[in-house]
Amino acid sequence: MDRSRRRSRLLIFFAAGAALAAAPPPPLHALRWVAPGADGARILTQRPVECLAAPKSASEAYLVEVGRAAFRTPLVLGGAAARAGVECETCHRNGRSNRDFSLPGLSGAPGTADVTSFLFSPKRGDNVFDPKPIPDLGGPKSALKISQAPGSPALERFIHGLVTEEFDGAEPPPAVLAGLAAYVRALSPSACPAATAEPVIMEADAENARRAVRAGLAALAGNDPATAMLMVGAARTALGDMAERYATPDLATDVQSLRVADLDLAAAIADIRQGDPTARLSLETWLAHSEGWTKSLAADEGRSYYDRATLARAIH
Amino acid sequence: MAVWRTALAWGIAAGMAPASLALASGTGGGGGGQMPSFTAPQYDPVREYQQGLADYQAEKFKSAASHFQNVADAQPRDANTWYMLGSAKSGAGDLKGAEKALTKSVKLDPAPIAAHRDLAIAEAKLKENDKANAELAVLNARATACNSACAEAADIKAAVAAVQQALGVVSPSASALPLQGDFKFAALNTGDVAYARAVSLINERRFPEALEALDAAERSFGPHPDILTYKGYVWRKLGRLDLAESFYRRALAEAPTHRGATEYYGELKVIRGDMAGARLMLARLEDACAFGCVEAQDLRRWIDHGGDPAS
Repeated sequence: MDRSRRRSRLLIFFAAGAALAAAPPPPLHALRWVAPGADGARILTQRPVECLAAPKSASEAYLVEVGRAAFRTPLVLGGAAARAGVECETCHRNGRSNRDFSLPGLSGAPGTADVTSFLFSPKRGDNVFDPKPIPDLGGPKSALKISQAPGSPALERFIHGLVTEEFDGAEPPPAVLAGLAAYVRALSPSACPAATAEPVIMEADAENARRAVRAGLAALAGNDPATAMLMVGAARTALGDMAERYATPDLATDVQSLRVADLDLAAAIADIRQGDPTARLSLETWLAHSEGWTKSLAADEGRSYYDRATLARAIH
Repeated sequence: MAVWRTALAWGIAAGMAPASLALASGTGGGGGGQMPSFTAPQYDPVREYQQGLADYQAEKFKSAASHFQNVADAQPRDANTWYMLGSAKSGAGDLKGAEKALTKSVKLDPAPIAAHRDLAIAEAKLKENDKANAELAVLNARATACNSACAEAADIKAAVAAVQQALGVVSPSASALPLQGDFKFAALNTGDVAYARAVSLINERRFPEALEALDAAERSFGPHPDILTYKGYVWRKLGRLDLAESFYRRALAEAPTHRGATEYYGELKVIRGDMAGARLMLARLEDACAFGCVEAQDLRRWIDHGGDPAS
C-alpha cells in the first residue's frame, strides 16, 4: 500500500460529509490508524480473539453486554476522537490490544498512543509527546496499571476519567460506566479460546448489532432510556461498519438493506426519546427481521471488503 | 492505486452512505439509476488550490494564477487565496493584477504581514509610492505596537526592510516577488503538521495561535472546509459570532453536508437563541449522518440544554 500518497491523515478530526467526486475515499475508515507500510487488508480482515469470561449472574450479564456494546461505538467518547470515529475498540480490538495502531501526532511506534496529547484532550494534554504501548485488556490483570479487583472503584474512576477527560466526552449514563467496567473485568486470559486470531466476518458484526439491541431492550425493561438509546446507537455503529464492507460498486443493494435497517433503529431511538412504549416492539421486530437481511449479506460476503483479496484490491 | 483525498475523504468513509446507495434499486429516467447530484462532477476548490500551489512552486505562474483565480471565484472571501493569486500574478509579470488581488487579500484579512509586504512591494514596482508608503506605515505601526516583543517581530522587521528596499526599484520586473512567505515551502505534510498543531492549540484554548496555525494549514490545503470550520469555531470562542458564522457558511457552501460545520453552526444558533435554526441544523445533521454520528448527539445536547452542556 502506497501510504506516501495518502494525504493529510491528520485532517481526520472532522467527520466531513460531502462527497466530492474527484477521488474515492479509502474503503474502510479503520485504515486511518493502520501503521504506514502495514498490510491493511490483512489487518482489517482478522482480529485478536475476544477473551470474555461467562458472566456469573443475570445482572452481570446485562452490564457486560452494555459495556461490550459501548466499547464498540464512538458515541461514548467525545471531542476530536469521537468525530474521527475512534471508539474503545479502535485501540483494543476485541478487547485486546492493537499492535498496528498508528496515528500521526498520537503514536510513536505502531501500537502506541500518547493518551495525554492535546490533540484529543483539552483536559489531559501535557505537551509532552510520550506515546505508550497500548495494553492488552485480555492479558494478565497484573500487567494492567489499574486495579480491577471487585469492589474497588478504581476501574470505574479510571474509565470515567478516560471518557470525560482524556476524550472530552459527555457524562456517560451510570449503567454504561458500570457496564464498561464490567466488560473490562470480564476480559481474562483464562477465557481466551485456543486460537489467537479470528477472521472478521459479517455475521460477527451483525451479531454485535443484535447484542447491542438486546442490551437496549434490557435497558428499556429497566426503565433506563439513556442507556437504551446509547445501545441502539451502538447497533447503528455496527451497521455502519458493515455498510463500509459492502461499499463496493456492485453491492449497493446490500448497503441499501443495511441503511433501511439503520433507519428502523433511528426511528426506535426517536421513540425511546419521546417515551413511546412502541419502541420495544420496534426493536423486537428489528431483531426478528435481522436474520432475513443478513442472509443476503452473507451470500455476497465474498465480494465485499470482508474478503481480504477484495479489500486488498481496493487499497492498492 | 486509489489516491486518497484529504480529510474530507476520510470523513466520508466514517459516516456517510456511499453515493452508490442512492436509488440503487431504482431505474430513473436519466439512464444512470442515480440522482444527478450524486453523479455530476462537483467542483473541488481544495484540489484546484493545490494544483495552483504546485504550479506556483514549479514557477508556472500563469497556470498557478489561473487556478487561484478559479478558487477565488468559488471562495471570494478567502484572503489567503487572494494572496496566492496576487503572488502568482506577480510571478507572471502582471503587477497590476497582483496589486488588485493583494489589495483584496489585505482588505479581507489585515492581519498577515506577508500580504502587506507584498502589496507594498508590488505598488513600489508600479511606481505607486504613495500607496506603498501607506502599506509601509501599516507595517511600521505594527512594529511599534509589537515593540520587538511579539511573535511576529522578526517577520515585521524583515517585511519593513523588504518594502524599504523595493521603494528604490524604478522599473517593474517580471520576476516573482520576494518569497519570504512560507507558502513557497507549503506542502501537504507541512499542512498536516500545522493542522495538528491548530487542533492542539484549540484544545489548549490558545486561540490566536490556533488561528495562525490554521492559516499555515490553509496555505498548504487551500480553503478546506475542515479548516474553515475550525476557524469558525475559534472565532466563536473569541466571541466573534459574526466571523464564526461567515466561516461556517463558507465551509457549508463548499461541503453542504459537512458534519462539523453543521454541528457548530447549530451550536452558534443555540448561543443566539435561534432554537428553530438549531433544530434545522440538527435535522440536516441527522439526514447526513447515516448510521448515526456524535455530532448530532452533541448538538442535540446543546439544544436540550439551551446552551453548552459542559458549562
